[in-house]
Order: sequence, then C-alpha cells, then structure tokens
Amino acid sequence: MHIPDGFVPPQLCIVGYGLSGLVTWHCLRQVNRQADPAAQMPKAALLAAAFFVASSIQIPLPPMSLHLVLNGLLGAVLGYYAFLAILIGLFFQALFLGHGGLSTLGVNAIIIGVPALVGHGVFQLRRWLPRSLTPAIRYGVSGFLAGAIGMALGVTFFISLLIFAVPVGFDVATERAALLTLGIAHGPLVIVEGVFTALLVTFLQRTKPELLNGLVTLSPKDHPQGSAMGVSGDRLCD
Amino acid sequence: MRLTLDTYAGLQSPLHRWWPRAKLVGLGLLILGFASVQTLQLIPLCLLVTIVLYGLSGLPWSFLRSRLRYPGLFLLGMVIALPLLSGSTLLWQWGPFAIRQEGLLAMGLITGRFLSIVTLGMLLLGTTPLLTLIDTLVSLGLPPLLAEMALLSYRYLFDMADQLDVLRQAMCLRGFQPRGNRRSWHQLAAVMGTLLVRSYEQSERVYKAMRLRGYGHGRRQSPQLRGWGQPVDLAATGLCATISLILIGLQVWFAVPSP
Repeated sequence: MHIPDGFVPPQLCIVGYGLSGLVTWHCLRQVNRQADPAAQMPKAALLAAAFFVASSIQIPLPPMSLHLVLNGLLGAVLGYYAFLAILIGLFFQALFLGHGGLSTLGVNAIIIGVPALVGHGVFQLRRWLPRSLTPAIRYGVSGFLAGAIGMALGVTFFISLLIFAVPVGFDVATERAALLTLGIAHGPLVIVEGVFTALLVTFLQRTKPELLNGLVTLSPKDHPQGSAMGVSGDRLCD
Repeated sequence: MRLTLDTYAGLQSPLHRWWPRAKLVGLGLLILGFASVQTLQLIPLCLLVTIVLYGLSGLPWSFLRSRLRYPGLFLLGMVIALPLLSGSTLLWQWGPFAIRQEGLLAMGLITGRFLSIVTLGMLLLGTTPLLTLIDTLVSLGLPPLLAEMALLSYRYLFDMADQLDVLRQAMCLRGFQPRGNRRSWHQLAAVMGTLLVRSYEQSERVYKAMRLRGYGHGRRQSPQLRGWGQPVDLAATGLCATISLILIGLQVWFAVPSP
C-alpha cells in the first residue's frame, strides 16, 4: 500500500508533502499541549520501532501470507504520536527496504497516517459501549473497528490515487475492472487487519492496559493516585 | 531484515566530501526535477546524470543491485500490466494478448523515473551517515521532537529485530507452525503483543536513563552542520539546481503543442 518513487506526478508529491506537513504540525501541537511531552517521546519512539518490526511478521492466510500495516493499532496505542511514528517508519522503510520512496514520503504518510488518526478516534468508541459488556468485548469490538476502518480508509486513498493520479490512459471499462479487482483483492486485508487489531488490543488489555491509554499523560487532578503509570489496569480498562 | 544502509559512508569520494546540507538540498532538487519529467525523451538524460553521479560516488555497483532488487520487483508487479491494458495503438497481438504502444511508453517513463530517483536516494544515504543526515534535516527546520523520535527509533530498531528473532526461535523450538487457523493467529498476535509490551517496558527504562543524563534540558547542535561548506559544495548544489531547472524547462517546452 505504498506508492513508489516516480509513480505519481510531482505536483502530487508536493501536495503530499504540504498536507503531511500540516498534519505533522497539528499532531506536534497536540503533543506539546501535554503536561510533559518529552516524557512520552521515548515510548512513542520505541513503540514506533516495535511496530515497524512487528509489521514484518507474515500472517498466514491460505493459500498465501501477508504483512499487516497496523495503522489502526498504531492510532489506538499512540494517539497523536501515531502520525509522527508512521512518518518515521515510512522514512526508514524507504531507506532500508526501498518500500515507498523519498519523493512520495508525504503522499504515503497521508495514505497510512491519516487513517491511523481516524483509528485513534474510532478506538475511543470503547468508552461509549455499554458498561454491561466485559472489557474484553468492548476493547475487541473497538479494536476491530479501528483496525478495519483504518485499513479500509488507507486502501481507499491508495486505490483512488492509483486510478486518478497515475496518467496511464486506461479506458473506462478497464479502469472500472481495475478498481473492482483492487477493491476485491484488498477486501480480505481489511478483515484480517481488523481481526488482528482486535486480538492484539485484547492481549494488551489483559497484559499491559496502560499501553492502550494513547500515550496521554494524565494530570494528577484527573487521577489523584498519581500519573498514568501508577493507575491500575482495572481502572484503565473500565 | 537489512537495517543498515550507511555501510559505505566512510569512503572518500567527491560525493562523500560534499557538505551534508548542500548535498541534501542539491540532490533533493535533482529528485524534484526527475519527478517532474513526463516525457520519455527526457528519461535518458535523467539516467545519464544518475549514472555519472553514482560513478563519482565510488559506491560499488553490487550495492545498487542489492538495494534495487526488492523495490524493482515491487515496481515490476505494478507496471507489468500497463502495456497489456493501457492505450489503443496495437504493436503486437497474439490471441487475447496485445502489447499497446501507450502502455509501453508509460511503463518506460515510470520505470526510468523510478530508477533515477531511487538511485539518487541511495546516493544520498549511501554517502552520508544516517545520524549526520538527521542532524542536517534538523538544521534545515525538521522539528527536534521528530528528529529525536527518529534517532531513538533507529537506535532500537536493531534491538527489536533481535527480540523478534529470539521470539521466532522460541516458537520454532516449541513446535509452532504458522497456519491460517484461529489458534495460529492468536499465537502470532501474542508474539506481536509481547514485542510491544517489551518495547514499552524498555522505553520506561530508557527514558529514566535519558533523564538522569540531562535529557530535556536543551540540545546542542553539532557545529559541523552549520553553514553551506566550501564554494565548491555550493557550486555542486547550484549545478544540481540548474539541471533540475533545465529538466523542468524542457518538460514545459515538450508539453506546449507546436503551432
């Protein structure tokens, strides 16, 4: 789901850099509003590295296997840091693996990063689900939706760019067939991404619930017992 | 996973000696010029400039081959259908298969641009240590928080990759065979989750260690990265800007229909 170098016109590369610059500015502004942004930076950086490595794990889906993008989960765990982490991850992917590209870094950041921020919003749904449901179900459902919607949005951006921005002169019938084929090919990916995000979120909710707090430093006023690190897992889950 | 790129950053060549700030701006402008090419006639010029620069860099050709293998296959997968599906002028036909001129030209254009830009990217990163490159980006206005995140991520990428290898080995030793069933997915999710939990716990220790060493009390920029280097460095950047402008000018000239 990465657009390589030389694939799209330069105007789009420039627009991509401009838009991703704006989103980066907004995310940095939100991050700097926190009580101690420097305290969360190492967590965001190490988790970004862990996500980069985790996305290299092959998921078997007979008769093939695939890699996950994990943008919905990144949004759920990192909050506003997710876009920054994705920007860095894409930069490293372009350098180390030749996946994506330096000229298309901005475009790819929008394709994957904006859905991650949407995934962050969708994951907040867990607070609105009925309290009668167990935390595992609430986290699982909101995790599935964050992962699936994040991926579906990313795929939609990617296919739209491929079809409308790459000047290859397809006729209408071929264009429609290509759109349909790409859509059908990416359909299972959306489901797999959603299921895996749900599985991972429920795993984290059981083992390290503070990780699902979106790297937000809670002020002592909100939590008289102490900072986010001191808040018990049960309290974070419920 | 190959996570090193600046293996040859210690060589001595004109590109290695080029001042990092001037090099970043010069090669960035050249990438912009190459990306603006929409006419196949200009592709040989782009490739020629790329080959000359690569030759000047002293980087081994095997380095380029090894780095182009994966993105090349990816690109091939994306453009292989173009001559078969795009355009109306038939060049060759055999049953339902037909090679079309417009698709073939689009494939050549995209592949040429891709090869030139990717090679320039490799030149930039193959001749400059990554840490210097990130410091250069900071000196050009990259937010320091983003740079610190990038440096720390880069530092721990190797650790994470090692941890994943250990986890994989442990799973293999316990007889895990990845299958497409529910149990297998649960186990893979647990592996990814474990990696995230470990990295989170490690990040807390790292942050405390950084804090003890004065993190959060300002950061001095390396004086090496101030300024734009010697006149020859600026001249090289100017040459790149000129080539880029010539390419854009030629592109506009080709795009204007003749009377």
